[in-house]
Amino acid sequence: GKWAATHPKQPPTRMALQHFDATYSAQLGALWPSIRVALLSERKYGALLNHFSHNLDVEELQAQGCKDFISNGEGKLHTASKRKLHDNLLLRSAPSPLRLSPNIRCLVFPRGDITRFRPARPDKFGLLSYYLLDAASILPCLALDVQESHTVLDLCAAPGGKALVLLQTQSVRFLCANDLSVSRTSRLKRVLQSYVPKALLTDDKLRITSFDGTIWGEIERNAFDRVLVDVPCTTDRHSLMEDDNNIFSRSRVGERRSLPQLQAELLLAGILATCPGGDVLYSTCTLSANQNQAVVQQAVQLAEEQHGIQLQVISLCPLAQMFSNTFHFAPNLHLGEMVIPHLAANFGPIYLCKLRRLT
Amino acid sequence: LTPSLLQHNKRNSAELSLRSLLDMGFTEYQAEQLYDSVSRMKGGNAAKHVLSTLSVLFVLGLNPTTVHKLLDKCPELYTVKDVQLQQRITQLRHLGLVEGSLQRTVSHYPKILTVPMKSVKSVVQFLREKCLFTTQQVAEILRDSPAVVLEDLDQLEYKFQYVYFRMGVKQAEMVKCRLFRFSLDNVRCRHTFLERRGLYQTPDKKGQTTIINPKLDGILNVDEGTFTADVAQASPEEYDVFQKLLAREWKEEEFEHGSGVIR
Ligand SMILES: C[S@@+](CC[C@H](N)C(=O)[O-])C[C@H]1O[C@@H](n2cnc3c(N)ncnc32)[C@H](O)[C@@H]1O
Repeated sequence: GKWAATHPKQPPTRMALQHFDATYSAQLGALWPSIRVALLSERKYGALLNHFSHNLDVEELQAQGCKDFISNGEGKLHTASKRKLHDNLLLRSAPSPLRLSPNIRCLVFPRGDITRFRPARPDKFGLLSYYLLDAASILPCLALDVQESHTVLDLCAAPGGKALVLLQTQSVRFLCANDLSVSRTSRLKRVLQSYVPKALLTDDKLRITSFDGTIWGEIERNAFDRVLVDVPCTTDRHSLMEDDNNIFSRSRVGERRSLPQLQAELLLAGILATCPGGDVLYSTCTLSANQNQAVVQQAVQLAEEQHGIQLQVISLCPLAQMFSNTFHFAPNLHLGEMVIPHLAANFGPIYLCKLRRLT
Repeated sequence: LTPSLLQHNKRNSAELSLRSLLDMGFTEYQAEQLYDSVSRMKGGNAAKHVLSTLSVLFVLGLNPTTVHKLLDKCPELYTVKDVQLQQRITQLRHLGLVEGSLQRTVSHYPKILTVPMKSVKSVVQFLREKCLFTTQQVAEILRDSPAVVLEDLDQLEYKFQYVYFRMGVKQAEMVKCRLFRFSLDNVRCRHTFLERRGLYQTPDKKGQTTIINPKLDGILNVDEGTFTADVAQASPEEYDVFQKLLAREWKEEEFEHGSGVIR
């Protein structure tokens, strides 16, 4: 904008902040100051426990006050939110939409506790005991609801956090993990090798590829039970804190402006790769409605117009209610759910929206 | 030796006695307390000059009750010789503490009279030359925030520069809202909280901001609850966690940059 033109030496982090101030204060209103200060302060992590590791660290972490937020969330069902959840279930008259894999466990420090995790240690087989990630990024994987013997496509998979969560379920019959970037796919390989026994990473169980995800529809259609489309985005937290590799640098203006277009193409490709009856999950780590709700709307429309595919939005409201004691969710989103950062629970931003292919 | 004779002897040698204190106008209770504390002081020198020290305070116009309170607050004053005390008072007068405010400052912050003239002089010089406060403003600072005379000059300089450059606040406003009463950490923490919430901007070269910054007075001279709710429009929980996070950030910055708090 005009400001940028008169101040050519603004670092990208500053450009990002100005951009967010302009767009998010309009989009999020009174919520923005509270999200802003959280984004500009140290984030919180979660420790995804490695089911495959002989885990000696868990007890130590639990002694420090860490709790598995997933089973903790289920506990909450027995209290007030249970009634709300029931109302929701009745409204949609669907079978329990919340089948959560018991094998996914993620420890977090309690609300307001700023203790950090120390790096994970390997067990005697060299497998690491936990993977540190934004605890909210578990939600897209939980929402994907992988069932026994499913085939799963992770269209933008590197560096592999969510692929690792999916493998923790031990339900996946076959996982295809793709990422455009070759260097990042090698990182993904290294991550999986550090956490998953070799026997589970054989060619019949796992395929790692480096294609442009937007053309996946030309490679393989109607093929997967579950598809995760975790797209590149403005990575709001990163853009505010790191000047290196920042999408708000002047040289990447074009790339940044065309993100929603790329995101919609990736989601559409993901929809095409899903088999009818299967589910697609779209997720980002930005607050931007242009990269979230608007992209989903556009992709749904394109799928219908160009391919005659009917999609249904699956409400994630029960999921949000279940974990409302761990995360802050944006209120009144007309499409999908969004974890918004808050100083006392400094996770996110994570946006997720679930679509079911009806045809 | 009867007790009264003992007291009489002490009085004759101009040393401290209960009688002499009563004569100066202290109540019995006050006199006993004063007498006790002086007797308990190590070295025993205090007893020799304490009466003349007390008279300097009386000459300043303080009444016995005030003097008693002030010595109770700041027993170090017993050890200050009357001549030094007189010089320090004169220095404060020269610095612009007029009658009335001089007495109020001393009663409120007696410690100021324990500070060597040289230290006071260097703080005053610093405020005038480095921070460009006027003589009048320096007098106001001494009156309202006498503890500045004991602050570390580097810390004082950092605090001034932080408020001047980062917050864009001019000298007159700093004086008006008694900036130097607040610790640097307190100022930085409240300001940083507002800044990260998008409620405070550093003015550009022309002194302009795109939002209206809250006044320094409204940021500092309110209790934490009011600051959090009304100025920052946040919850107590948020500010609580923020303070913990910021303290850790500072600690790590200090560690990275060696000492000093440079940002
Ligand atoms: C948000 S990251 C994915 C994070 C990953 N799902 C995880 O949980 O660790 C987005 C990824 O999309 C990849 N990407 C960008 N453009 C792509 C494209 N056209 N096709 C496939 N992947 C792409 C980037 O290399 C990046 O690794």
